[in-house]
Amino acid sequence: MSNFRKSQNQANPNKLNNILSTLIFILVFNVSIQIWLLYAALNNALDNHKEILIPAFIASLVLFLIGFGWLYYLPKGNFKR
Amino acid sequence: MSREDNLNKNWKKDFPILKQEATQVSRRDFAKFLTLVSGGLMVGSGLVAAKAHLMPKEEVAGEHFVCKKDEVPLGGTRGFVIEGSTIPYILIHLETGEFKAYEQKCTHLSCSVFYKPGTGIIHCPCHEGSFDAKTGAVLAGPPPRALPKLEVFYKDNDIYVKAAVENTLS
Repeated sequence: MSNFRKSQNQANPNKLNNILSTLIFILVFNVSIQIWLLYAALNNALDNHKEILIPAFIASLVLFLIGFGWLYYLPKGNFKR
Repeated sequence: MSREDNLNKNWKKDFPILKQEATQVSRRDFAKFLTLVSGGLMVGSGLVAAKAHLMPKEEVAGEHFVCKKDEVPLGGTRGFVIEGSTIPYILIHLETGEFKAYEQKCTHLSCSVFYKPGTGIIHCPCHEGSFDAKTGAVLAGPPPRALPKLEVFYKDNDIYVKAAVENTLS
């Protein structure tokens, strides 16, 4: 049975190129937000403002899960060795 | 996978003969690595939250004698440590006659700060950070937070410190 991933792998290399670039862009974007969240959380923890820490962690977790789920769309490459 | 295959495929992939293959990182591997970094940052955030909630910073308990009023001249400072703690503090005798006590560690990278007599500024020489000697607020430079302070009060001629009341506005 064919599924989305199978047909994606058979797509034109130009299309795979676009998919991979977009994927990496989103991942870099997510990581940037996470760095900012960690920096803000650390600063607030040292300043004894605890209320922001749990939301920052949850946001970070959501961003990680998005990035992790995103890897499903990582093209395998359609060239053969 | 047989041992033969393992040697021929994976070993050669990890330790390629051609230099180009060793230096190139495929975009696929880069995307996976980014996800790993993302996971690391998530764990880091979790650790910060856990540390703050499970092991909160200890507050200064009780009242502590520092010194007598006439031991610190106008514009002078005196370093002190509270019993049972290793955090260095400084007591500052401002030109206005007030006494102020702050943690002596810069909030940027924990360098030791000093009071510049006559200016009302506490200075950090490492990266040129400046704090307001009256409030501890950051005036200039890289420090991200105000200097933590202690409340100073007097008993006759003696100077005492205790934990400052939380100021939620700052």
